[in-house]
Amino acid sequence: MVNRAKGIKENLWAYGFLSPWFVGFLVFTGGPIIASFVLSLTRWNLLGTPEFVGLQNYVSMFSIGSGFVNSLRATLIYTVISVAVAIFSSLFMAVLLNFNVKFLGIFRFCFFVPAVMPSVAMAFAFQLIFHQQMGILNYGLSQIGITAAPNWLNDTFWVWPSLGIVTIFTYSTGQMMLIFSAALKEVPEQLYEACDMEGANFFQRFIHVTIPCISPIILFNVVVGTVNSFNSAFSIIFPLTDGGPANETNVLSLELYNQAFRMFNMGYASAVAVVLFLIVGAVAIVQFRISKNVVNYD
Amino acid sequence: MIKNKKLWLLILQYALLILVALFMMFPIFWIFSNSLRTLTGISQFPPRLFPEEPQFSNYIEVLYNSNALVYFRNTMTLIVGNTIGTLLSSSIVAYPLARMNFRGKNFFFALILSTMMVPTVAVIIPQFIIFRELGWLDSLRPMIVPSFFAFPYNVFLFRQFFLTIPRSLDEAAMIDGCNRWQIFSLLVVPLAKPIFITIGVLSSIWWWNELFQPLIFVQSNNLRPLTTGALLGFRVQGQQHLVQWNLQMAMATLMIIPPMFLYLFAQRYITQGIKSTGIKE
Repeated sequence: MVNRAKGIKENLWAYGFLSPWFVGFLVFTGGPIIASFVLSLTRWNLLGTPEFVGLQNYVSMFSIGSGFVNSLRATLIYTVISVAVAIFSSLFMAVLLNFNVKFLGIFRFCFFVPAVMPSVAMAFAFQLIFHQQMGILNYGLSQIGITAAPNWLNDTFWVWPSLGIVTIFTYSTGQMMLIFSAALKEVPEQLYEACDMEGANFFQRFIHVTIPCISPIILFNVVVGTVNSFNSAFSIIFPLTDGGPANETNVLSLELYNQAFRMFNMGYASAVAVVLFLIVGAVAIVQFRISKNVVNYD
Repeated sequence: MIKNKKLWLLILQYALLILVALFMMFPIFWIFSNSLRTLTGISQFPPRLFPEEPQFSNYIEVLYNSNALVYFRNTMTLIVGNTIGTLLSSSIVAYPLARMNFRGKNFFFALILSTMMVPTVAVIIPQFIIFRELGWLDSLRPMIVPSFFAFPYNVFLFRQFFLTIPRSLDEAAMIDGCNRWQIFSLLVVPLAKPIFITIGVLSSIWWWNELFQPLIFVQSNNLRPLTTGALLGFRVQGQQHLVQWNLQMAMATLMIIPPMFLYLFAQRYITQGIKSTGIKE
């Protein structure tokens, strides 16, 4: 009897502590998710009352030639490029930072500091660097004999490699680098010693020892990076290309922003939000599955 | 022979490290270098690494004749408000998840973990409507008030840290007659200082850099934080597509210095916070 009363009291204390989150969840996350589903069935320009239109928004979204299908394509390309670039560049830098040399602190600072820079400032830098006529990149290319240099940010093909280069300087890459750095220190020294006894070179060691040892971490970073890319796409692409050229980089978050806050198609934009939410949800389920085996939440 | 090989390896390693470091620092250097040019100097071809006559007047122009200081004040308001809000609320919410047994604990924790991944963009429209109904649009409130209701990611970081403090301390305090709130505020919080610093620093950097929410919630120029201010505040009057690049670059330089120093001095805390996304130590 006493124990049960104690248990109830303990539960009440716990719910009391949780109450700020509970309110926040209902008002700012859970409620809005449900509201998005409802709004996605309406037509509404913020004035007057929303008009119920059923699934019409979804039908027009998936009709041929719609901006939405183009956005799905852009999101897919951006996610693949940004995750691949972040994985390779962060692993490369983490390997360099694992060298047994001096001044590693300075190098770590240089490698990581772009990650905490405002994406807006980095966008300004890259607009100048990638500029077709006055940019330093094309000047550098012309010095090594490449005169037919691309118009990086204004070309529907070259804008993707440009975004790939920019990805190297983002938070996502920095975060992966720190995680890889920690993982590389965990690779058992004996395995490397065994390799040296067999006369393996640096690359053989890397392929046959390092990669297998850190493969769960690579997988983890791929999934975390995918979720990150949905969050960071807007802050990187909006100041750099604003979805251009010719809507080539108009990823889902930009499409949602344009529909909702430039054209005030709130119903249609909500339908985009619902699809975005479902995509992230699917990725999140994969992440949970993987996390169970790889990471330790306790 | 072996010594020679080692020396070559060392030189190769340093060469690689220096090369990559220069590459990574280049955009930052380029912002700084262009902030010291005239507008025509920026479009000069071929581009030079260093400006011929450094134009420090760009900085004076930005500080005295633009809204830079107003933008800075707004960003600082966002940082202070959010840091206070999230440190208070997220630590309180994390406490029972780490140190108490109660009905539904696993369910609530799973729910918090899953909301961690919901992108802000996906819930922005209903939030916009709520804040419009409250009459909070075109103010900083939509970006500050939510922080007092706990951010899932910060709850997660607090929980991870609270788990490392021995639970026997709580039990001893219970026997001494402390209630749960006293245990949290008098015992756990003082022991958890490092995680408070970590989250404070991460939250400050995040709000220093945040672009999306101010773009949605703020229209007036004098309410813009640094990010939207720098993006929209240096257009040539009447000509939307012409940008005063030299001033924008001076502004960008001022914007990259604080996070750089914050990282320099709080590196340990930042690294710890970013790494503790749940990787096995």
